[in-house]
Amino acid sequence: MVAAMQAARFADPALTSVALAEMSMPVLILDPAGQIAFANASAGRLFGHADVKGASLNELLARAGVHADTDLLAVSAPRSIPELHLSDGRIVSLAADVLSDGCTLITFDDVSSRVRNAELARRDGLTGLANRDTLAVGLADTLQRGDEAVAVLCIDLDRFKAVNDSLGHPIGDALLRRVAERLCDAAGEDALVARMGGDEFAIVQRGGTQPEAAEALAARLVDLIGRTYVLEGHMINVGASVGVAVAPSDGSTAAILLKNADLALYRAKFDGRGTFRFFEREMDVRMQARRAMEIDLRRALAMRQFHLLYQPQVELAGNRIVGFEALLRWTHETRGLVPPAEFIPLAEEIGVIGTIGEWVLRTACVEAATWPEGVSVAVNLSPVQFHSGKLVETVASALAHSGLAPDRLELEITEGALLNDTEAVLVALNRLRAIGVRISMDDFGTGYSSLSYLQKFPFDKIKIDQSFIRGMGDNPECGAIVRAVAGLGASLGMKTTAEGVETAEQLAAIRAEGCCEVQGYLTGRPISATDAASLLAAQPTHSAS
Amino acid sequence: MSDDLHRLVYYSRNRIRGDADVQAAAMRGILATSRQNNARAEVSGALMFNAGCFGQVLEGPRRAIETTFERIQRDPRHGEVSLLAFEPTPARSFANWSMAFVGTKAEDAERYGDIARDSGFDPSLMSADTLYSTLERLAIEEERFAA
Repeated sequence: MVAAMQAARFADPALTSVALAEMSMPVLILDPAGQIAFANASAGRLFGHADVKGASLNELLARAGVHADTDLLAVSAPRSIPELHLSDGRIVSLAADVLSDGCTLITFDDVSSRVRNAELARRDGLTGLANRDTLAVGLADTLQRGDEAVAVLCIDLDRFKAVNDSLGHPIGDALLRRVAERLCDAAGEDALVARMGGDEFAIVQRGGTQPEAAEALAARLVDLIGRTYVLEGHMINVGASVGVAVAPSDGSTAAILLKNADLALYRAKFDGRGTFRFFEREMDVRMQARRAMEIDLRRALAMRQFHLLYQPQVELAGNRIVGFEALLRWTHETRGLVPPAEFIPLAEEIGVIGTIGEWVLRTACVEAATWPEGVSVAVNLSPVQFHSGKLVETVASALAHSGLAPDRLELEITEGALLNDTEAVLVALNRLRAIGVRISMDDFGTGYSSLSYLQKFPFDKIKIDQSFIRGMGDNPECGAIVRAVAGLGASLGMKTTAEGVETAEQLAAIRAEGCCEVQGYLTGRPISATDAASLLAAQPTHSAS
Repeated sequence: MSDDLHRLVYYSRNRIRGDADVQAAAMRGILATSRQNNARAEVSGALMFNAGCFGQVLEGPRRAIETTFERIQRDPRHGEVSLLAFEPTPARSFANWSMAFVGTKAEDAERYGDIARDSGFDPSLMSADTLYSTLERLAIEEERFAA
């Protein structure tokens, strides 16, 4: 009874017209001739309270900044328009329905925030460029149309991290925005430019004759991005490496083109940065091989595929073994023995050198602790291990855990460790020295500013690179260098070790030049920890010690 | 702080292609635009040029200098831009825009002589500072290179 009465009340035309007039959704009613016969209050507000009656929909929208060439409702109603951009910045959708009396009911919906949020989701917040997803979608659309040549360029900044580290993130961010501007400037209006994350960008180049257009753009990018930036009072230099893949020869899907451009980019970086490379088939093959090695290397530690061998270090004065250098070996079930020169650089690059290095350190300490007192063990450190900030703690822990006396541990570093972030590395070295560990300069003579590094830190030992020892026979300069380094070591209070000694003649020459110790196949090949212990047991106790 | 007076000095390869007339027209165009753009941004300075290179001193508020230099970096008429200095400076050496041809060829000197005259280019300002004389020397070397 009550429900029936309510239904009757709602059917009252006066009530429905009040509802229509006062509802929050903007509503217009057009008469059959297309002129506005009714606009509710909300529609009035939407169109600036102007008197809209009698106008056509096109005229009304034109006043709000929406200009249409054809009658918006010419296409048979009902219809809808998803986005109308009004001059005041608002975005509305429009829906039109033809009523039974021939009039048209128009409703609007403010979709500004929805449209803007969707737009924001397509963009990179920092640079305003398209983001990775938008680029992939745009590339896929372009490929699907298939009516123009397409090239994908992947761009990576060289030395960006150094800028971020030394000048701070605000400058780094400002630089990325500047780079984004230069990319857009070089790529032109037809191109789709995206920030893929971090300091990686990508461009989809549409139109033009390929691969010529891509080559010209890549060359321009390397030049333009590499030009000095002046930002917030700083002069900043970064470089760009660029990898290019062209459709359809290098791939016909977005995913494959992006992957191949990325492979080409990797090649460009490998070839010395600040350059561009086009994708080539064998890059894929090489990369697959590298990836397979990477997967194997990542699980080598867990699979217990590493072991250490120890090469004797012989003191020339007493003709006795005073220590061993720990050497890492990787035996893979199908690859067999993998040369360190192949897997160490990869381990450094993919960041597993930290855990491998720690394993080497702990294992060497534990094994050396079983040897007689006074025999030391030398462990190589990768420059990367200094970056973790945990090196000193790891060394202290390895010593404490193994019970090895700190002065029996010798850490070998190369000039490479001192090349970057020198101050932080020197702090770590001094802390290591403070707990009693000895520090050696390894591969001496192969770098380019060795003498200045000897000045920066009082090394316990200089290890002369084996290339000089090998050359001593037929190159008098090598002998002179060995002599000079031995003399230098003596005057700086540093021991000198000659590496790679293979013949009795070399040994005699080294002795004559005044080196303290030798290491090489002649005086002992790398052997297991157990064999090292046996060798030491057979060595007569030195009369002086 | 950001509006501190700064001085920026660079030189770059002249990548304008074309004969002497094209070059001359381009130079006049550059001077006119430089004057307009830079006056608005309170940037003053001096531009030296020849067939081989541009050498330019920019002086003004730091942000304006940064914006101007960024525009130059993106300008295809410049190649291999070398930044010689970017630093705070207590006062302007070039209060107005000036531009001069710096080169060894007599016919060029004649062709461009009026530009220097019209723009009030004062060579003594250039030789007052070792940086400017370096710039001048580089410019002449570049011209020989381009010849």
